[in-house]
Amino acid sequence: MSISQPIPTHDHTQIELGFLRKYIFSEDHKMIGIQFLFSGMIFLFLGGALALLVRLQIGWPYGNLPMVGNWFPASWGGKMSPEFYTMIFSMHATIMIFFVIIPWLTGAFGNFLIPLQIGARDMAFPKLNMLSYWVMWPSFILMLISFFVAGGAAGSGWTAYPTLSSAAMPDGMTGSPASPNSGTGQVLWLISLLFAGVSSMMGSVNYITTIINMRCPGMTLMRMPMTIWAMFVTAILQAMALPVLTVAIILQLLDKTIGTTFFLPPAGMAFGNWHTGPGGGQPLLWQHLFWFYSHPAVYIMILPAMGMVSDIISTFARKPLFGYRPMVYAIAGIAGLGFIVWGHHMFQSGMDPRLGTGFMIATIMIALPSAVKTFNWLGTIWQGNIQYTSAMLNALAFVSMFVIGGLSGIFMAATPVDVYIHDTYFIVAHIHYVLFMSTIFGIYAGVYYWYPKMFGRMMSETLGKIHFALTFLSANATFYPMHIIGVGGHPRRYFDITIYDTFQHLQPLNAFMTVAAIILGFVQFIFVANFFWSLFFGKKANRNPWHSNSLEWAAPSPPPHGNFEGNVPSVYRGPYEYGHPETQEDYLPQFEPNGPKDTPGGSH
Amino acid sequence: MGKGWSVFFGVILLATFLLWFVAPFYGWWLPNAVSTFGPDVDWLFYLILGFTGFFFVLTQVVLIYAMWRFSYRPGEKSTYSHGNHRLEMIWTAIPAVILLGIAIVQISVWQDIKYQSKMPPPDVTVSVMARQWEWRMRYPLETSRFKWDQKATPEEVRQKQLAARAWAENPEIDDIPIANEIHTWVGASTKIYLRTQDVLHSFTMPNMRIKQDTLPGKTIPIWFKATRANTFFDTNTRKLRIPPNRADAWEIACQELCGGRHYAMRGKVYVHESRESYEGWLKHAVEQSNSREPEKVAAAD
Repeated sequence: MSISQPIPTHDHTQIELGFLRKYIFSEDHKMIGIQFLFSGMIFLFLGGALALLVRLQIGWPYGNLPMVGNWFPASWGGKMSPEFYTMIFSMHATIMIFFVIIPWLTGAFGNFLIPLQIGARDMAFPKLNMLSYWVMWPSFILMLISFFVAGGAAGSGWTAYPTLSSAAMPDGMTGSPASPNSGTGQVLWLISLLFAGVSSMMGSVNYITTIINMRCPGMTLMRMPMTIWAMFVTAILQAMALPVLTVAIILQLLDKTIGTTFFLPPAGMAFGNWHTGPGGGQPLLWQHLFWFYSHPAVYIMILPAMGMVSDIISTFARKPLFGYRPMVYAIAGIAGLGFIVWGHHMFQSGMDPRLGTGFMIATIMIALPSAVKTFNWLGTIWQGNIQYTSAMLNALAFVSMFVIGGLSGIFMAATPVDVYIHDTYFIVAHIHYVLFMSTIFGIYAGVYYWYPKMFGRMMSETLGKIHFALTFLSANATFYPMHIIGVGGHPRRYFDITIYDTFQHLQPLNAFMTVAAIILGFVQFIFVANFFWSLFFGKKANRNPWHSNSLEWAAPSPPPHGNFEGNVPSVYRGPYEYGHPETQEDYLPQFEPNGPKDTPGGSH
Repeated sequence: MGKGWSVFFGVILLATFLLWFVAPFYGWWLPNAVSTFGPDVDWLFYLILGFTGFFFVLTQVVLIYAMWRFSYRPGEKSTYSHGNHRLEMIWTAIPAVILLGIAIVQISVWQDIKYQSKMPPPDVTVSVMARQWEWRMRYPLETSRFKWDQKATPEEVRQKQLAARAWAENPEIDDIPIANEIHTWVGASTKIYLRTQDVLHSFTMPNMRIKQDTLPGKTIPIWFKATRANTFFDTNTRKLRIPPNRADAWEIACQELCGGRHYAMRGKVYVHESRESYEGWLKHAVEQSNSREPEKVAAAD
């Protein structure tokens, strides 16, 4: 069922907005999406630079750092301190997760694509949408300021486990006694994430409403592109999980500022001469609350990419998506199971081990919908007619790398193996295969694919392919050996492993990975160069450069304010009618009234 | 480039696959497992490695073959298909059965390692207090003080366990304090009560395949039984004799972020050849500790 669009009371295309309303405080979903895209790109490079600093220390412990060494206080002698190291890996993860991946997937692509792909003129609540972007800025600014406060930015990992992060700051002390990084920096970190959470919440309410209420005539739920299904389920996940994180953050903030003891134990703790007062809290509570949000957040960070990749693979294989309905059910299955597996982060935490058994079974079973999705992607390219565009290459890399990231998860899900592998580099390999090798390749695929629609020009395919080849090569060289050193027992978040007899022989691999990471970092400038060069000098794009089927390709490139000229389009069939035997062309858009009318979206 | 991309994917994926076969020859692999449940953990690891390896090869070969076989042919159309119900059933059901099987075989080993009800009567009991950034061990003067015999009633077992926990939480004057060293003997079941006075830590002995976070305000027991020795206490020289090779240098590491010097919470595991060697070392340690100031003993906890 779909509800027809409200008839516009004025012609959207003829309103001329000033610079400020058009580019800065825009209420247009496309401009807001592009704003999220640009701010995400800035933070990708900041987060990447932090990652390279981390890698430099691990590759050559205590090494004199070229150039950056001069920025350190003279007393450090051009070398990194362990506290500084702890701070930069914490901030690397925080920035990449909360400022790059989530805003790119839901903020940039969600905003840009949802109204266009369902045939709406804009989001349901344009002002709320604008606010969801501008609420990110206090978050950005507070996080950046935190680098310069006494004690530095937060240094208790992106997970911010109490009591390292939460022990209160006693009178007269600027830093927390637990760690120099968990003073003012940690307070700013918490407030910053509070704003980021509010932004995500505004976005998700908007997406859910828009997708339910504003689909154009004929756009039934089972005719929606996978991107929309993924964004819909992601928005529901966010709406249900975010309040829990918000509460947890507020409680930790109270612990740190007014001296409550939500996450401090009943008995007194001691840091040197400092003791906690009488309390009645529980450090483990934070882990439950945090992972109750952050495990679903892992799916928030991959589901939209899965949806986009499904659309891109079908387009360039020139073949209908294999198993549309199973794909939809798999997304729903991942989201549903995603709420009952958070405990697998806590197998070794001191949680009752009997609870671990239950979480293990749920966690291992969540591999099933992921497997179904993978098989269906393979089914889609099988007997296809594959066009190797930059977008397709990145999408295929997503599938290939997601297999690795998915399979490696089973090791950690199995509780006895996790006893050994927990908090080793194996988990670092796993998260980077999911979040970098899968999600970032999915994002790149999305940028190459929708760039013509966003900016009305084509990106350079040659540069795109060079960028892809070098990224695929150097990223595998960076992250794959992490599995091996993880099997060797290499702990994560270590400043220097060479003091351990058990781990020191793994050091040559660390140096190798650091070199690969530096190459990986510099290769990304090819993407940036291509992006900005094409903005001004790229070939002009027509409406439908890839011969795609979904609704956004009915609009001009770039679409005007209000998206569609005249009436909103009507939909006559599902979005994956490629290679239909009864048509002349090898594609049949959803909005094309002629041709075979209704074809089943599913596999039945 | 067309089919060339298939080759490009193939070469890189083959390299990642081969790394698993090359790494063990360089020693980049699981360290020796020297506890009773160590081989069980390793067996489960290899089991999962086998299944995931199979599905890795299967999916990647299909992907690379399809990229080669179905690369763009101008003017042609793809085979029009929306899916196949029977295939969906097959590739849902088979992985479901395999995954459930993998989950079920884990349970008994997990119970052996972590369930308190399954922990055997302890020959050695150690209290470990973690703090930034060291491990502070205490050994009771009387070895096997908290052991119960096999015929003990559940109530007697409970009383012994409560007594051990009470001892772990309340230091006694004749306890022997040692920093960063676990001592036991081969074949002795060793119980460790973990506490922390400040932040979270994670007590990890990679060779024993054991890991447990410490939680402020909680006392958490773990256990292990070593199957090999690496130490002998020489009563003449009054020194520990330790084999020089790296593979027998078993260590303790912290694996939960605990601040700047997280990486430096290194400890050592000494598994004596016999109970006599252990008790010889303990007697020596008692003398050492008596020669120290009494308040130092109290400060150890």
